[in-house]
Amino acid sequence: MFKWSVTAMIIFIFLFPVPCRAKTPERIISLAPNMTEMLFALGLGDRVVGVTSFCDYPPEARKKPRVGGMSNPSLEAVVSLKPDIVVMTTDGNQKAFEERLRSLHLKTYVSRARRIRDLAKGIRDLGAALGVREKADRLAADYKARLERIEALKPAGPKKKVLFIVWPDPLIAAGPGTVIDDAIKIAGGINLAGRSIAEYPKYSLEAILRDPPDLIVIGPDMREQDSGSIRKLARGLLSRLRTLPVVKNHKVFYVSDDLYRLGPRTIRGIEELRRVMDE
Amino acid sequence: MNSMKTGIFFIILVFSAVLAASLFLGPSVINPFAMDGTTKVILFSIRAPRVVVAVLMGTALGASGAVLQGILRNPLADPYILGISSGAALAAASGIVLGLSVFGTFTIPVLAFIGAIVTGGIVGILGWRRGGLWPERLLLAGVGLSFLFSALLMLLLSLSTTEGLRRATLWIFGDLSMSDWSIMPYGLLFVAGGLAVSLWRAKALNALILGDELTHSLGFSPHRERFLLFVAVGLMTAASVALGGMIGFIGLLVPHIARFFLGSDNRFLVPASAVLGGALLCVADLIGRSLIPPMELPAGIITAIIGAPYFLYLLRKKNVLSF
Amino acid sequence: MSSASRSMILRLEDVRFSYEKGEGFIEDLSLSVGEGEFIGLVGANGSGKSTILKLGGGILKPLSGDILLWEKTLHSYHNRDRAKLISYLPQTLDASIPFTVEELVGMGLYPYDIPPAMTTDDALAMVGLTEKADAHVTDLSGGEKRRTFIAMTLLQGAGLLLLDEPLANLDIKYQIELIRLLKKLREERNISIVMALHDINIAMQFEKVVLIKNGSILGSGPPGDVLTDDLIRNAFDINVKIVRNPHGRAYISYEDNF
Repeated sequence: MFKWSVTAMIIFIFLFPVPCRAKTPERIISLAPNMTEMLFALGLGDRVVGVTSFCDYPPEARKKPRVGGMSNPSLEAVVSLKPDIVVMTTDGNQKAFEERLRSLHLKTYVSRARRIRDLAKGIRDLGAALGVREKADRLAADYKARLERIEALKPAGPKKKVLFIVWPDPLIAAGPGTVIDDAIKIAGGINLAGRSIAEYPKYSLEAILRDPPDLIVIGPDMREQDSGSIRKLARGLLSRLRTLPVVKNHKVFYVSDDLYRLGPRTIRGIEELRRVMDE
Repeated sequence: MNSMKTGIFFIILVFSAVLAASLFLGPSVINPFAMDGTTKVILFSIRAPRVVVAVLMGTALGASGAVLQGILRNPLADPYILGISSGAALAAASGIVLGLSVFGTFTIPVLAFIGAIVTGGIVGILGWRRGGLWPERLLLAGVGLSFLFSALLMLLLSLSTTEGLRRATLWIFGDLSMSDWSIMPYGLLFVAGGLAVSLWRAKALNALILGDELTHSLGFSPHRERFLLFVAVGLMTAASVALGGMIGFIGLLVPHIARFFLGSDNRFLVPASAVLGGALLCVADLIGRSLIPPMELPAGIITAIIGAPYFLYLLRKKNVLSF
Repeated sequence: MSSASRSMILRLEDVRFSYEKGEGFIEDLSLSVGEGEFIGLVGANGSGKSTILKLGGGILKPLSGDILLWEKTLHSYHNRDRAKLISYLPQTLDASIPFTVEELVGMGLYPYDIPPAMTTDDALAMVGLTEKADAHVTDLSGGEKRRTFIAMTLLQGAGLLLLDEPLANLDIKYQIELIRLLKKLREERNISIVMALHDINIAMQFEKVVLIKNGSILGSGPPGDVLTDDLIRNAFDINVKIVRNPHGRAYISYEDNF
């Protein structure tokens, strides 16, 4: 009995996200910023009828009706937009919310892609589920090719140690299991915070001095939104580290938020990271 | 009297040991007789300032807790109950949202300090009636403002979509890792000032616990004494929040731990709570940065994790709390 | 009158006071306390006994009239100087923080830079609490707590004690013990005591009583003159009669059934 129910559950879990029809839905709601970006990249932007308050890219996404945050969207808002499908992710959306939507007979699509190696498959699956398989396959092929290009051009010399700082005060670094960690490896570097036990560890200043990085990357530098506050906040940190060659030799770089989400901009983010690593 | 001397000697000894351990132990052990350049930088510009900040914050919170439990005549009072920390958090978070940098690298601490002082002032005005501050009014005004500011902070956070701001709230939950010397003189000024007033008025504080009429009968002006002590607590709490955000536990429970050993006389309790608070936060920070390097655990969490079971153990073992 | 020959410690002259604006609660009250006097301030609940004691202790300020301590305006004294001359003990005594008996009694020395001859141990011995020196005030019985605060007041060394309902919440044995203690202290140290109380039977044993109603004095003098049927009926608004036992002691008898 137990065995049977476990088997049934496994079958159920595997069956569920697999799309049944490949007809393009007319009304799509996205509950994650990276999914919104993928939908726009797949040319489905016109069909997106609702997004979260975090969905700020591409700029057109900001004009879409909001249904709330990622972890706490408004059920009422989602239902009232009469979506044909609600696109979600396992990285930030609540499973309970998805169950609630299904109990109201709304169709959902949950993307399980979390790492860069899942990206191509992620967009292909999404495209298949939403009836834009060809476009998705083309995008996936493009991502793959660009990734291979970056990986093929291994930088000369020893691997560079990179510290990717996502918040300067208090100091939070990108650790293992993150898109940024993947990106550093793909770009041919070593993530200094890669062996922490948390995804976004509070990183020790002492550790930086003991084991200094070859370059420091600070993000996201989005002037229009933060009015450059990340640079202001980082000033204190950098003055604490001013004795290190990495700071003396100006190997501190500010990057965009391309690597903060697994989506169409991720590859561009890796390319950007690679560029600053070569500088 | 002799046992008191032994006690004071013992406390100084333990405190010095804690300071030395915090400076020389950690993710890596420093040998003070064989230091290279990097080690010197680590010792003097990373560890030393954060040890000093831990001592200042712990001292301020421990002493404020003891004083506040006295002036509010409530053993459950802690320095954050007056809403000072919520005001500080709100001001700091607003500063981050608006991208202010009016005070350079000091912007967040200065905003936090201003927020704390303004909140303390509002609580004082609301607690003021018929020529003086009244404990119950202060307490209720503090709790009310605290809720208001917390709600406003939550509103700010939920309206904001900036990922950075969410991380900024980490600061609110206590962070010593970025401590540096530049801000220390101001912190020291306010903490030392508040502590000095508290020690100077310790007798009056004892009397205030017995009620305003007895305070008066014993030769003090209850309103004047309460006002002085309230200002002292406000300054110390504001300075501590500005130095490193909110650290729980110390303000509420360290005075009780000190009471277990030294009794309730504030002439001993206030300095003992100060020293104990400083030492506890130092140890907590030492553990937080040494346990799983290079990752650091917030000192506030460690403080409660080591402090609370010890407090509960004392509560079981020594049956001296009588309320 | 005997008060003329004695020197007066505290004099209230034509004192007016009210808690709220408008109607006066205490109107034109005059009262004086001589050296070594032990006065019972008798009256119903809300008659103004506490208010009069608080005015005398300087806790409340009169709207008009004079309050003189050793013939000098009470409010012109520095807080600490006044504390060496008068101490006031409120009716409800509480410490929300667990001081020890010794710590609490020791607070009596706070007005002094150079402590007077009496020590905390002496004060504890006087009230019979030497054994309890290390106990926490919060653990004491009502009687012990009362005596602890009395010891603090004694250590404070003031010549005039203003005690607000010190007998409240004490059972009869402790009431008698406390009065005996206060009488003994008066003999030994020549202090004056003004005590608010509402138990008429106990007031009957005082040398001097002051009967209060609605903030004014109905009568003052020896209990035999003041605590008469008529005045008590007036002050307490009850139907009573004074009866005497075979030894000539006066008691109050309630005439109405419950």
